[in-house]
Amino acid sequence: MVKKLADILEEKGINVSFQYGGKAPDEIVDREIKKEPHPRVKKLKDQYLNTLSSASMEFPYWYSRKFMELDGEVPEIRRAAALKHAFSHITPTIWPGELLVGGKTYHYRGSFPMPWESEGYFMAKEDELYQNALESGSASAGELSKFGSGGGNVTESFGEVTSIAGKFGMRNEDIPALIKCAREWVGKSVDDRSLKYQKMVPEYDIKEKLMRSVVCMFDSGFTLPLGREVINYYYPLQYGFGGLIDIAREKIAEVAGEAGGDGIIGMDRLYFYQAVILVLEGIQTWIRNYADEARRLAEGCQDAQQKKEYLEIAEIMDWISTNQPRTFREALQLTYLIHIATLNEDAISGMSPGRLGQVLYPWFEQDIEAGRITEDEVLELLECHRTKMTCIDCFASTGVVGGVLSGNTFNNLSLGGLTKDGEPACNRLEMLILESGITNQCSQPTLSVLYDEKLPEEFLLKAIECNKTGTGYPAWMNNQGGIQFILQQYGAEGMTLEEARAFAIGGCLETSPGSWHELTLNGKKYTVPGGAGQPTSVGVHFIGNPKVLELVLFNGYDHRTGEQVLPPHNKKLETYEELVDTFKEYYELVVDVLCKCNNIQHDIWRKQNMSIFHSLCKPDCLAKGHHIGDMGIRYNATYNVESCGTINQINSLVALKKLVYDEKKYSLEDIKDAILNNFGFKTAEEVGSYSLASQEKVEGVDKYDQIHSDCLMAPKYGNDDPYADAVLKDYEDWFCAMCRDFESLYAKPLYACQISVSTHGPQGAATLASADGRLAGTTYADGSMSAYPGTDREGPYALFSSATCWDQTQSQNSQMNLKVHPNATKGMEGSKKLLELTRAYMRRGGFHIQYNIVDSKVLKEAQKAPEEYRELLVRVAGFTQYWVEIGKQIQDEVIARTEYEAV
Amino acid sequence: MAKTAFKHSDCRNFIPIDVAKGICGLTNQNILIDTQVCPKFKEVAKCKNCSNFKDPDEKMIGRCVGFNDDYWAYGDLKGVLCEKYQAK
Repeated sequence: MVKKLADILEEKGINVSFQYGGKAPDEIVDREIKKEPHPRVKKLKDQYLNTLSSASMEFPYWYSRKFMELDGEVPEIRRAAALKHAFSHITPTIWPGELLVGGKTYHYRGSFPMPWESEGYFMAKEDELYQNALESGSASAGELSKFGSGGGNVTESFGEVTSIAGKFGMRNEDIPALIKCAREWVGKSVDDRSLKYQKMVPEYDIKEKLMRSVVCMFDSGFTLPLGREVINYYYPLQYGFGGLIDIAREKIAEVAGEAGGDGIIGMDRLYFYQAVILVLEGIQTWIRNYADEARRLAEGCQDAQQKKEYLEIAEIMDWISTNQPRTFREALQLTYLIHIATLNEDAISGMSPGRLGQVLYPWFEQDIEAGRITEDEVLELLECHRTKMTCIDCFASTGVVGGVLSGNTFNNLSLGGLTKDGEPACNRLEMLILESGITNQCSQPTLSVLYDEKLPEEFLLKAIECNKTGTGYPAWMNNQGGIQFILQQYGAEGMTLEEARAFAIGGCLETSPGSWHELTLNGKKYTVPGGAGQPTSVGVHFIGNPKVLELVLFNGYDHRTGEQVLPPHNKKLETYEELVDTFKEYYELVVDVLCKCNNIQHDIWRKQNMSIFHSLCKPDCLAKGHHIGDMGIRYNATYNVESCGTINQINSLVALKKLVYDEKKYSLEDIKDAILNNFGFKTAEEVGSYSLASQEKVEGVDKYDQIHSDCLMAPKYGNDDPYADAVLKDYEDWFCAMCRDFESLYAKPLYACQISVSTHGPQGAATLASADGRLAGTTYADGSMSAYPGTDREGPYALFSSATCWDQTQSQNSQMNLKVHPNATKGMEGSKKLLELTRAYMRRGGFHIQYNIVDSKVLKEAQKAPEEYRELLVRVAGFTQYWVEIGKQIQDEVIARTEYEAV
Repeated sequence: MAKTAFKHSDCRNFIPIDVAKGICGLTNQNILIDTQVCPKFKEVAKCKNCSNFKDPDEKMIGRCVGFNDDYWAYGDLKGVLCEKYQAK
């Protein structure tokens, strides 16, 4: 008989229900808050739910064509001309019923490869891609219809469609163009060029092994070189694209032929300003093409209302292609287009809108006052905006888009916080943004509240109401903690307290520097925030902490790949201190190697793939005449070290400390033997489940039962246990300081970033069993402050005490996820309890908390019958995603999380 | 891959949604790309219909002689916004 870990624990009298604070009722309890969007939005949302993730070759073709033509041109000009050419040739599509228009490509959920970043994947898969395209025959309508429903991931090729990276569908007619285009970039892409120079790093061989063993999850320089940052919409909103072109022309007249006191890059200002003009002209054409398309559609349209709407679209697009927007709708449309233009310029995830409700408030206020728009019409537009943002896809390889991102694009919209003067920054428009998150539940933009004690109760309770939809947003971030981190990290670059208050969340929960700008609309002055920093979560990403500890135990050898990943330390690890010191030494070596290699990747990126459009949007690139790569931007100390699996690593150190070094119940060899034999269990891969409780014993192997039981019962993080928490505090104090010893390519110190996104799945899969009792291949604990499922047995307040035993302002972030049963937050009383719980964590110094308010039984049902749960959204680790579009490893992990029955 | 039969995505009235389907601008109904086109089919500008598209191979990769760069093109590339598109 197959014996599962859950059965074994039950026999030992250990609660395996993974519930705290009571017992959930047997019947499924639905989410409390449910509302519907406006009818037109419902239709557009339904269309999204039935849309496949679709890649095309139009943009890459036109980009590559111009780029190749301009061989030998100044790099900035060559890049800008290629972008202009590509933007000018995007075929516009307008879908019936839309109020906001535009997109990355002509598909509803479209994206495209950027072989100039990396072409290796397509070259490696050339035969496979061709084979798919050549072998397909004509498909039946029935077959195609089947693929048209359900999740949007194209996991397999079908009919005339080839699956790429298990996620994107591409028409077979485009595949030869993909291969032909990719071939042109061989040896020239950022990936290929940087590889040539990375190999000159003496320890490069170690880097390769770190990637193969999945100690590190991905390279950022050619996969997602930008993002996890906050966009800045201010300049186009204030000056219009026409005004920005005029500014660039004036600047050219000022700087042409002048070094301006900078003998190294002073002369480059001329090229940057000319590049700005080229890119803006391309973007203007792109927007006007939509105006033309709207007029064409209006011409043939029989429906009077739809015809009127097409003509309105044409007028809006014509106007905002040059001028400052006049209305709320025009301003919202323009911010969306800026967003898409930025995403088309480079491979990006986590380009966050930031404090959009505060940026757009001037138009909202004046339109409402003048009676030009009603709040209901604003709500409808905000719902449209949510659907458009949810349609954004990010094209990347399987490992990145699946393993790291779970297909998410992390367009995080921040709410609340403080104004420049330190007053509550929330406003009526932000209340409507929250309402649109309730009425139009979808994955983008995800929402984050910058929690501050000064924020009014009404606003906070509205955010709690939104939480009770079960969508997982808004997440709660500590505003004062964020300000402290920002001041500390960017003080050397001139950050002040006032400016620190402009910060917002980029990507999942990357605290990102901002700036204030004076905006004038119809003669009235406003102060609006915007992003002012380089990308974050670039640099060293992600390091699997339990995997590093595994290498320490096995002298640098990876038993999974059979490789000596790190040089043998040859230590006997006779004391706990020696064990921890060796862990730190190995970790520093890993960071050192990865940092050097990533610096080279990003250096090649900035030399040949520099950002023009995104640069001109951020301070102070236009003023200085330098793009982001030449540090034209105000804040540059944004690169970081991202860790994963902290809690499993901590729990493992605690178990080793107790069982091997303090009590001496086992030798280190005993533990290593148990780990290598997975405590007598099958592998997660064999079992087909990645959560601990579902793991199965190998029949007849009982040798490791006692040691496994002791490892599981050793003190665990999350229970306000000083024995365990001391280990966490020691680690965090060291980790946060250690990261600052390394330097980015911009000669700025790195810092700690502690979020898992989805990497706790694949990195867990690459890790043997660990001394905390976790079994081989199972997923790590999510985030960095979430307890390992089922191990937080003393309730949320004990968990909070453990999580805040260290100074969280020393890190860019930390991450805490709680799963709460809907009954625990029912009614206004439940709402207030949830708000108090949130407050309690923030007051203790916790940086971030987010809630999955869902009955775990729903998730189990959804795993069995995904087709019935197409709209189910869950919070993973810093983002909300459709259940059916996340991988099984992460699904299992979300199901396994401890469910709080009371708060 | 070098199929010559028309599909819905070759029609000017087609509003693409994804790689499998779109909306017919005349009927407002969802339609699958790879199903038979109707009598109201109106050819959209694509390289394969352009007189500047030369020497396509079996994968429909050919040369574009419309510009001065003698670059390659592929048959299914949309030409709606191409400055040099000339219907055959």
